[in-house]
Amino acid sequence: MLRFIVRRAAEALPLLLIVSLLVFALIHAVPGGPLSLYLENPNVRPEDIERLRRAMGLDRPLAVQYWSWITAFVRGDWGYSYADGRPVLERIIERVPATLQLVGVSTIGAVVLALGVALWGVQRRTVDRVGTLAAIAGISLPVFWLGLVLQLLFANWLGWLPSSGRASFTGGDLHDRLLHLILPASVLAIAHAAGWMLYLRGALHTTMATPLVQGIRARGLAEPRILLRHALRLSLLPFVTVVLLDASIMASGAVVTESVFAWPGIGSLFTEALARRDYTVLLAFLMCASVTVVVLSFIADVAVQALDPRTRSAA
Amino acid sequence: MASFTLLVMLAVAIGAPLVAPYAVDALDLAHRRAAPSWSHWFGTDELGRDLFTRVLFGARISLAIGLLSAAVSACIGVVIGTTAGYVGRWVDALLMRFTEAMLSVPRLPLLMIASAVLAPSVPMLILLVGALGWMETARVLRSEVQSLRSRDFVSAARAVGAGSPRIIWRHILPGVLPSAVVAVTLAVGRGILLESAMSFFGVGVQPPTASWGNMLYQAQSTMSSEPWLGIFPGAFIFVTVLCCNAIGDGLSRDRRSAPVSQTGAR
Amino acid sequence: MANARVRTGGSAWSAMRAAASGIAFAMLAGCGAASDDIKPAAASATAASNALLTIGYDREPDTMNRYATHILEDIQSCVVEGLVTNDEQMRVIPVLASEIPTVSNGGVVMLADGGMDVTWKLRPGVKWHDGVPHSSADVKFTVDAMLKGDWKPESTDGFDRISSVDTPDSLTAVVHYKEVYAPYQMQFARGTLPKHVLEGRDINTANDYNRSPLGTGPYRIAEWKTGEHVLLEKVKDYWRGPGFPRIERILFRFIPNTNTRINQLKSGEVQMVALVPWDKVRELRGLSALRINRVVGNGYEHVTLNEKRFAPFRDLKVRQALAHAIDRQQIVSTMLDSLVEIVNGPIQPLSWAYEPNVRTYPFDPAKARALLSEAGWTPGSDGTRTRNGQSLSFTLITQAGFAIRENIAQVLQQQFKDVGVQMNIQLIDGTSISSVWFAGDFDAMLHWWQTGADPELTLFFASDRTPPAGRNINYFADDTLTRLLYASDRTADQTKRGELLREAQVRIAELVPELVLYNTAKIDVVPANLRNFKGNPTNAGPFWNVHEWEFAATPPAR
Repeated sequence: MLRFIVRRAAEALPLLLIVSLLVFALIHAVPGGPLSLYLENPNVRPEDIERLRRAMGLDRPLAVQYWSWITAFVRGDWGYSYADGRPVLERIIERVPATLQLVGVSTIGAVVLALGVALWGVQRRTVDRVGTLAAIAGISLPVFWLGLVLQLLFANWLGWLPSSGRASFTGGDLHDRLLHLILPASVLAIAHAAGWMLYLRGALHTTMATPLVQGIRARGLAEPRILLRHALRLSLLPFVTVVLLDASIMASGAVVTESVFAWPGIGSLFTEALARRDYTVLLAFLMCASVTVVVLSFIADVAVQALDPRTRSAA
Repeated sequence: MASFTLLVMLAVAIGAPLVAPYAVDALDLAHRRAAPSWSHWFGTDELGRDLFTRVLFGARISLAIGLLSAAVSACIGVVIGTTAGYVGRWVDALLMRFTEAMLSVPRLPLLMIASAVLAPSVPMLILLVGALGWMETARVLRSEVQSLRSRDFVSAARAVGAGSPRIIWRHILPGVLPSAVVAVTLAVGRGILLESAMSFFGVGVQPPTASWGNMLYQAQSTMSSEPWLGIFPGAFIFVTVLCCNAIGDGLSRDRRSAPVSQTGAR
Repeated sequence: MANARVRTGGSAWSAMRAAASGIAFAMLAGCGAASDDIKPAAASATAASNALLTIGYDREPDTMNRYATHILEDIQSCVVEGLVTNDEQMRVIPVLASEIPTVSNGGVVMLADGGMDVTWKLRPGVKWHDGVPHSSADVKFTVDAMLKGDWKPESTDGFDRISSVDTPDSLTAVVHYKEVYAPYQMQFARGTLPKHVLEGRDINTANDYNRSPLGTGPYRIAEWKTGEHVLLEKVKDYWRGPGFPRIERILFRFIPNTNTRINQLKSGEVQMVALVPWDKVRELRGLSALRINRVVGNGYEHVTLNEKRFAPFRDLKVRQALAHAIDRQQIVSTMLDSLVEIVNGPIQPLSWAYEPNVRTYPFDPAKARALLSEAGWTPGSDGTRTRNGQSLSFTLITQAGFAIRENIAQVLQQQFKDVGVQMNIQLIDGTSISSVWFAGDFDAMLHWWQTGADPELTLFFASDRTPPAGRNINYFADDTLTRLLYASDRTADQTKRGELLREAQVRIAELVPELVLYNTAKIDVVPANLRNFKGNPTNAGPFWNVHEWEFAATPPAR
């Protein structure tokens, strides 16, 4: 077990190195560096641009820039935002709560929804049919489209919910925050619940057909009991892995949803930083996103190893 | 049912110039934003162009992006997955690290950055979406190949002196084909959705070329006043992706649990 | 034009977003005692008090330092006042200066060595928000900080022509210019830096100032919640007297997505949106809670023709033909709902230097075809004209995500096609496009220039001001014009300078270096009962008279 953890961790390091190279190369290939916004002002002259370029260290060779960035990054010095001169870490951290809130709530909602429909579906054929169809529909909806339609319906036509933002300025209270959360969280939850429900349903059907469950059934146990005590237990692990991975990708910002609902999370930070070619912020964002995914999939792997007797014996 | 709908969609896309009632780029500024009527079934857009015509022509671009990007993904995925699974050892380790690296960077941000690097044209979009969509296929195929490799009939073939290319071609690839087909079917839907998401950020198909994604993108500013501009292309995206996913789901039904994950465009 | 905030693209409301930033200094309780009865939604319906104005704002500022920011200074201008600003008619009016120095009032003196002295008289009795008097030392400090070179302001234009500043008394600053600098009036439109706060410090990292600057204006920054909002609250002893400002607090909510912003305006979640895109206005008409305020803008939408990259543009007949091929009237009356006016040149109607009588190019496709044929371009088999094997086909770039431009580009494509000219369209995102045009890497571009109140044209049309030395991205060269423009720059007397600029406009219209479409009218949507809102044609922004704004339902404060 320990050996597995060590090996897995050792594998993660070169992985992150590849990611860092990939990401750095890509970002520097984007036309129009952080200085191009200054060009919009005709009074910014070539001298001004040169002066700023030197001040930002953008005149050095790319390899040098990469080396100084990655070494500093590893030491925890993420540099300063080109856009506003504040530490990158600070800018990212201040966006984390909003994203965690959105992702957390929608993940919980989606898990409950997926679990409920899948479990009910195993027992009722019609529910299964309808549930599957709805889920396939769910994963087929363009998310921004769903967001815009819900916004139109509930905020503009019915006027029940605020159309965007995280809270009204005046009402910082719980009620107000919840109201603001409903639409974006629902959009994310619908999108994810659909995929997860299909996954869990597939896993449940497979386990229900295994000799183990068939044997239990032959012993005459009540069907709901079989389902909860045995089938679900077996299917839950891969399901949790999938949820964990999806959630980790979401944690790096639900870029579309946050943009539609003006949600001040990591995803909107990314779109802002991309528009400004804010290299340091973009790099930190992409690295954080990758690290989150790598770490969570690592945890998921370890969990599977530790908990699932089958993989343990196989390994 | 799903396959039939998809086939009809394809036929219409190919035959768009024959079916379409108007010229696709014919502007008519006197009849802008007309509501659906007998002369314009789906109404007209901001520039007075017939929306039905544009949806038909948009089908060509959107389906092309979906299908071809899926094909690109499939090719890359099959090559990498099969190689990793068959050769094993350090090649496997290297390829899988690379696959994981690609998987660990969020896809839509990556696509947005990439399309800022390469000015988006339709072939470029196909390549981009395809180049970022092969990872799941590669992973699935790798594990399938690994299990096939140790099977008796492969060992037997090797025993009678068959070379690796022959074994891969004759024994391994046919074995993993069904999984590959499922992955590709799902990738078609994902490609169409990614195109629309990229268009949402203005980095998708460029006007005046119509795609469902950029039609939706243009419609978002008039959603409340001219909802039809968004409803029709949106419905077409939805139905098409639905068909792809339904087919993929059906194909994978008798196999193991469906690897349906559309993460990336949220 | 030293302080011109010039923007190409639709950046003000485009896909580009300002970086989020800021920590809230000077915390004000978010849900204070009075906050229960000022819910924004309720306020927009009845707006019975001057307690709060909620604004939907497109971009979060990068810094509150007016000299360092490179987006609009709307929020900053409520806090930090300039020595001057310009009003809704684009007249330059004094704010912290007691009068505008001119040649005739003796404020501007030409020197024999070619230099120029400008004497700024400061308004007496003005104090910084911390009570320290605003003085000529602050003017001098600002210039010195600019010239010292270790600070990163966006631009030092104009300042680098200053040799020194003398302060004979605390309210008089004499600015010595090394050469004549005609746009001197707007030199300090961005205000001054408080010497007593910033002296001896690195301004780049003086984040207390850069986040929450010390100003003399009617408001101060009460809270800056990154990614969400900036809250301004009125200052107690504003120098204009106890009646000002009238609105207690102003809230800027950051909503980058245009549709979302407009939706919030419709649903009453915000009460005001500045710079509403023209194609959005129709959605807001007929809403009784809102008033649509329109002023003529100081920018003009046009097609830049890059003569360096696409050689056929060097032929005057081709340029004239293209001008005749465009039906501007149709574009304006359909796509733009007649919200803008057709103009014919780079200086806009509100400017004191505007020349209305110039050559125009009415829509006339027959004439366009004739001109092209005269120039040797004959229709090929596919309808596109060719000459000596080259076809008259070019690519127009414009900003992605700016719906009006995307649509107008397609109309132009159609209208050019009618006369045998093939135009392709390429959309480029708002940030990339500036580096593309700066490199001259395009055939034609649909965009606007938005300039400050000063009518300088040299930067855009003088033959030696192609990038990187300027913004002549038509790569247009005409000796007569260049001479006129430089002469106008070296003339501080407004009457004489105006004559030269008028002559230049006539010349530009003759030569059609670019295809001028329409004036970029500025539309702000405000609460119907908000009084004294006037708008602003320049990027100085509509907040120049924010101290006067008030809601009509309540009696004016004293």
